[in-house]
Amino acid sequence: MPGWGQLLCRAGGRLLAGVPGGPVQGAGAAAAVAATGNRGPWCSIVRHINSTTWWDEHLSEENTQFLKQVTAEEYRAQTASKLCPLKDEPWPLHSWEPGSRRVGLVAIKLGMIPLWTKNGERHAVTLLQVKDCHVLKYTPKEEYNGKTATLIVGGKHSSPFYKPESALEVFREAGVPPKQKTTIFKVSDNAIIKPGTPLYAAHFRPGQFVDVTAKTIGKGFQGVMKRWGFKGQPASHGQTKTHRRPGAISNTNAGKVFRGTKMPGKMGNVYRTAFGLKVWRINTKNNIIYVNGSVPGHKNCLVKVRDTNLPTYRDCNKNPPFPTFFADGEEELPEDLYDQEVFQFTDPSVTYV
Amino acid sequence: MAAACGRLLEQAGVRALARASAARPAARCRCFSSSGLLRANNGEPTKFQPPPKPVVVDKHKEVAERRFLSPEFIPPRGRTNPLKFYIERTDMIQRRKVLNIPEFYVGSILSVTTADPYASDKTSRFVGICIQRGGKGLGATFVLRNIIEGQGVEFCYELYNPRIREIKVLKLEKRLDDNLMYLRDALPEYSTFDVNMKPVPHSANDEIPVNQLKVKMKPRPWTKRWERPKFNIQGIHFELPKEMMEEAQKWSMPWIQFDMLREYNTSKLEKEIWKEVNEELKK
Repeated sequence: MPGWGQLLCRAGGRLLAGVPGGPVQGAGAAAAVAATGNRGPWCSIVRHINSTTWWDEHLSEENTQFLKQVTAEEYRAQTASKLCPLKDEPWPLHSWEPGSRRVGLVAIKLGMIPLWTKNGERHAVTLLQVKDCHVLKYTPKEEYNGKTATLIVGGKHSSPFYKPESALEVFREAGVPPKQKTTIFKVSDNAIIKPGTPLYAAHFRPGQFVDVTAKTIGKGFQGVMKRWGFKGQPASHGQTKTHRRPGAISNTNAGKVFRGTKMPGKMGNVYRTAFGLKVWRINTKNNIIYVNGSVPGHKNCLVKVRDTNLPTYRDCNKNPPFPTFFADGEEELPEDLYDQEVFQFTDPSVTYV
Repeated sequence: MAAACGRLLEQAGVRALARASAARPAARCRCFSSSGLLRANNGEPTKFQPPPKPVVVDKHKEVAERRFLSPEFIPPRGRTNPLKFYIERTDMIQRRKVLNIPEFYVGSILSVTTADPYASDKTSRFVGICIQRGGKGLGATFVLRNIIEGQGVEFCYELYNPRIREIKVLKLEKRLDDNLMYLRDALPEYSTFDVNMKPVPHSANDEIPVNQLKVKMKPRPWTKRWERPKFNIQGIHFELPKEMMEEAQKWSMPWIQFDMLREYNTSKLEKEIWKEVNEELKK
């Protein structure tokens, strides 16, 4: 819809504004005729005075190309400059204590794959790719809520031209290209990280458990059977025009409909979390996390990954890379990190003794 | 003592004679055999070495090398990131380096041995005709069908499951269809295969034989209406009356062949993937 509006606006705008070197002579003549003759305001309906402008509406083609090039180069330089956070006066690093919370990541859901364990059991895993993940801002606990400090983390790079200036300020302060998704992670005081530090998939290790939050696939306006799983009514045996309706919504004694009664409405496109997902494997070369089971969201959507809060898995997340994994540190990781039970395809076939 | 010495001398003499006699045939053989091994043995008796077999290098056949890319390597249409397919492919190639997954088609007869924790010798072997190949990527499967002691049995195996020990092609051939699910409704003789059958030899560069067999069916009703054009089955010998066959054509959708949105040209993708897979496998 915005695309159509923009096209019409472009056509209308070019005709009305009379951009030099823009409209064809015929169109200019038509505009002139419309202005002078009594054809009525057929151009002006397309564009209202209160509609917003887009970034290259009043720019020439050369200038738009130049801006695109310049921003791309600038952002490439910025990402390159942030590759060595440990040499860039990092904030003091502390060691992990039980009860401390560390940052999470923003990842892209790539898809699902089967994975086999050494016993021959098959599990379905989701691939999450960590692409251009940087820490953007630190809010001390006094400013946030008085109890916990927070770190804002951003995901995939995106174009700066369609973002509000307030958002662009945050990115400029951190010295990082603009991101598609920003999330807030509540963090304990010993796990704060300097804004601009890149985060990698090796922040998580195989064998630990993770919560993944994302917006579910939007299904639009849906009826009560799909949205809430109601049984509906029979297809035949005298049902008059009632096959997928909710039936009764309250009783006589109440005399009213209670708030929160299940009814048709917009389904999906809501943030939901999948708790306690095991990390089976980490690919450090492409920054991919293999997470057990399914994750909300469609393919290539951005998800928020963090260490579990579930009490059952509190003991499994001991001694993680704290506050995060630094790529320019001394630790040299192999290309693939596997959990103990995962069958690696370089091994010979599974045999039972 | 003298007698003993005499005997020793005699024995020595015999030994010398033996050595001489060995040397003489060796000397005689030297003229006839071309191998240098006899000279290296210092006159000891050597076994007859037949001349090496001539290696026939058929250059014509090498040129027409068949490019077979297993169908599960070709990614389906969609908005998935190609990186995901690349990662799956690296895993698949790793597995293929450990286990040889041969080229086979729907209609070939395979024997599969898997590791089974509940069997007495921890392995289980199944022989059957491949009736379907489904799935893409690591989850690719194939279904084998056979009739054992009068009972039809189908096994759906995953190609990349680590429990599979061996996949052997006993008979490599194609059929007239890509999907032989109709064998469930065909007479049992068409799905019975000997569990101990000998593998039929097939040279690497020959064309794959297409079995033009038309299968006879059990009386109707069948599990699916195989006469309908949506299944497009060539491999059934329909003995149905003409009216039924014409009535089945009512469900034909002749416009589908012109539907451009259903076209999926995989030729370029196939070439790139084949090149990549082959290079990785050779490493």
